[in-house]
Amino acid sequence: MKLTLIITLFFFIPNLAQNSHFNFHSPENKKKFADYLFCEGDYLRAVEEYESIRDLIRNDTIDFKIMLGYSSLGLFEESNKIFKQFNYESVFYSDGYLYSLRNILQIEQREFDYPGIPSFDPTQWKSFRKLFSISMLYADEPFESKEKFVSVFEEDDQITVSLLYDYKFNPPYKSELLAGVLSAVIPGSGKMYVGEWGDGITALLVTGLFAFLAYDNFRADHNTRAWIFTGLGAFFYAGNVYGSVASAQIFNARINFEFKEGLNLFLQHKNYFLPEYDFCN
Amino acid sequence: MTFVTELCVKILLLSFVVINLQAQTALKDQFNYAKKLYNDEKYFDAVTEFKRLLFFDNTNKYVFEASKFIGLSYKEGAKFSDAVYYFTLAEKNAQNNEELFETRIEIIKINILRRSTGRALALLVSLQNDKRYINKKDEINYWRGWAYIFSDDWENAAFMFNSISPNHELKVFADSINSEFYDVTLSKVLSVFIPGAGQFYTGEYASGLISLGWNVLWGYLTISAFIDDRIFDGIMIGSFLWWRFYTGNLQNAEKFALEKNLNMTNDALRYLRNNYPGSKP
Amino acid sequence: MTKNNLKFFFLFIFISTSAFCQLDNLKWKKVDLSYEKPNNFRQRDYSFEFDDAGDFAKKSIAYTYWFFISDVDGDNCPFRPSCSSFLMQSVEETNIAQGMLMFFDRFTRDMNLYKGHYHYPRVKDGYYYDPPSLYTLNELNVNFYYTPATEVVDE
Repeated sequence: MKLTLIITLFFFIPNLAQNSHFNFHSPENKKKFADYLFCEGDYLRAVEEYESIRDLIRNDTIDFKIMLGYSSLGLFEESNKIFKQFNYESVFYSDGYLYSLRNILQIEQREFDYPGIPSFDPTQWKSFRKLFSISMLYADEPFESKEKFVSVFEEDDQITVSLLYDYKFNPPYKSELLAGVLSAVIPGSGKMYVGEWGDGITALLVTGLFAFLAYDNFRADHNTRAWIFTGLGAFFYAGNVYGSVASAQIFNARINFEFKEGLNLFLQHKNYFLPEYDFCN
Repeated sequence: MTFVTELCVKILLLSFVVINLQAQTALKDQFNYAKKLYNDEKYFDAVTEFKRLLFFDNTNKYVFEASKFIGLSYKEGAKFSDAVYYFTLAEKNAQNNEELFETRIEIIKINILRRSTGRALALLVSLQNDKRYINKKDEINYWRGWAYIFSDDWENAAFMFNSISPNHELKVFADSINSEFYDVTLSKVLSVFIPGAGQFYTGEYASGLISLGWNVLWGYLTISAFIDDRIFDGIMIGSFLWWRFYTGNLQNAEKFALEKNLNMTNDALRYLRNNYPGSKP
Repeated sequence: MTKNNLKFFFLFIFISTSAFCQLDNLKWKKVDLSYEKPNNFRQRDYSFEFDDAGDFAKKSIAYTYWFFISDVDGDNCPFRPSCSSFLMQSVEETNIAQGMLMFFDRFTRDMNLYKGHYHYPRVKDGYYYDPPSLYTLNELNVNFYYTPATEVVDE
């Protein structure tokens, strides 16, 4: 009994010393708190905590989590700056490399140059090939045939990437010249060609109405009114031709926008073909 | 018990007490540090430190206070959804009825600020029906009044403040605002019978005169066209010109009344925000 | 502190502040919350500053039209900017001839009998957003300013 008590006593005296100096801001406690914040999705605070201990606790996982955190916050350049400080021997180097490619896609939205590739495991290699192929959709011209491009992806994704390829390199644009010419021949037909039937019919009716009013007033010898209607008719006619060309341009801008949005949504849904990292379980 | 055994037991007991006190001191220090950041209006950092406190507080002694201050910090940053989340957390960890009431009032204030009046009033009704808060009737009616102020219902706001005291400062204020409002329906009805009369009622004399002038002109031309058997001309002038300016006159009568009332409301709200010394949302 | 140590010290400060600069931009601060309700009533910009005689003529015609006709005949234009503002902005962005063509095209679209305005985005108070920048025939501008119909624009 005496011995038990003495041993217990000697256990608690050091503990007393430890707890009396509990430091919320010690590197170890900051790391624990940062891990908690990271798992809660509070990346801004997590990154701030990790950055403050980075020089004190050299840890590959911390570096990679900072990189992921910056990326989640949309700070892709900061994320890549962290990657540039990775040691080549780091266990997360290949994963970091893949993430840096994703960051480049987000920042620059262009195809990749042939980058220096580290050694990948089979899963990482698959991710890299998909990411590299998809970057082609940011180029002006394809550097692979459609069959080769599509074959890189899983069967479930092949239909989507095939559609994206077609939308990018063979977009369903409307010809601005054709729209203008059509409206010059038949007022409003250029707008109908672009798909704006309401505007096209209205243009046809308005131009037709003024033309009729001009003709009718010339026939009735009301020359002043006739010339007013002629002038207005001419302006509406010219405006309709101009507007048809502009409509075709806006239509094509919509195609470009829908492609970019579609590609972004697809990539986000697929997490840019990168593995999900679970540091919380 | 021998002397040594007794001594060991006493030292052990003392150690337990001291350890406990030390841990409590550390938490208290962290709480005070976080609260100082809050008082210095460094709300983002205050949230970080309160969250740190919550993470390390195994005793859950500070859950209520820390959650409450996190909620208050988010409220200062106009992050109302986050604020409500933490006030709800504080509510769940309230130690007594006072603390529970305090957090519920904070949630009600946020609903007032967000102008989700229905929700605010529903929460106030639930407080009113809660037998624990029978002696808080005045405070509940006070916040009801504020909810009505924010939903632009000054009449009901005055009624609520009147139930606290007939000479309540906010009751007198709400009454004065309510009495100055223009009657939107009256403005429109005046303009139905005399174009421009509604605009005159709201003090927009220039617009009223111009509106009256156009209506008289197009009315005269329409009627004289019908009298001269120029039916088509009469229909064209009547439908495209007279009708357009007549409906424009009605729209303006309503618009000016609503706009003037909105300006008065905003002046009143600005005064309350900047000059009213009492409790505010 | 030696010169070299001083250099490293400043470099450290620079690096650590650079790392946090971006984060500081994201760290929110106290908001001075206003109690006021939003005022969506249109306020005309009757600015009496003129750059030249042409500007004077253009603004005089526009202000006269607004004061005597547009502000009195009701809210008939479903678009923002309104047709008269569209004309003024078109002429400012391009030239008088192109501006007139843009205006007559806009007027035709305004008269759309079928009210087929589903492809326009909206502004906060419900009007359709139709800026002149989409009709300048400048492809770069059109691609830059294009907004899908699903968005609500903060005009």
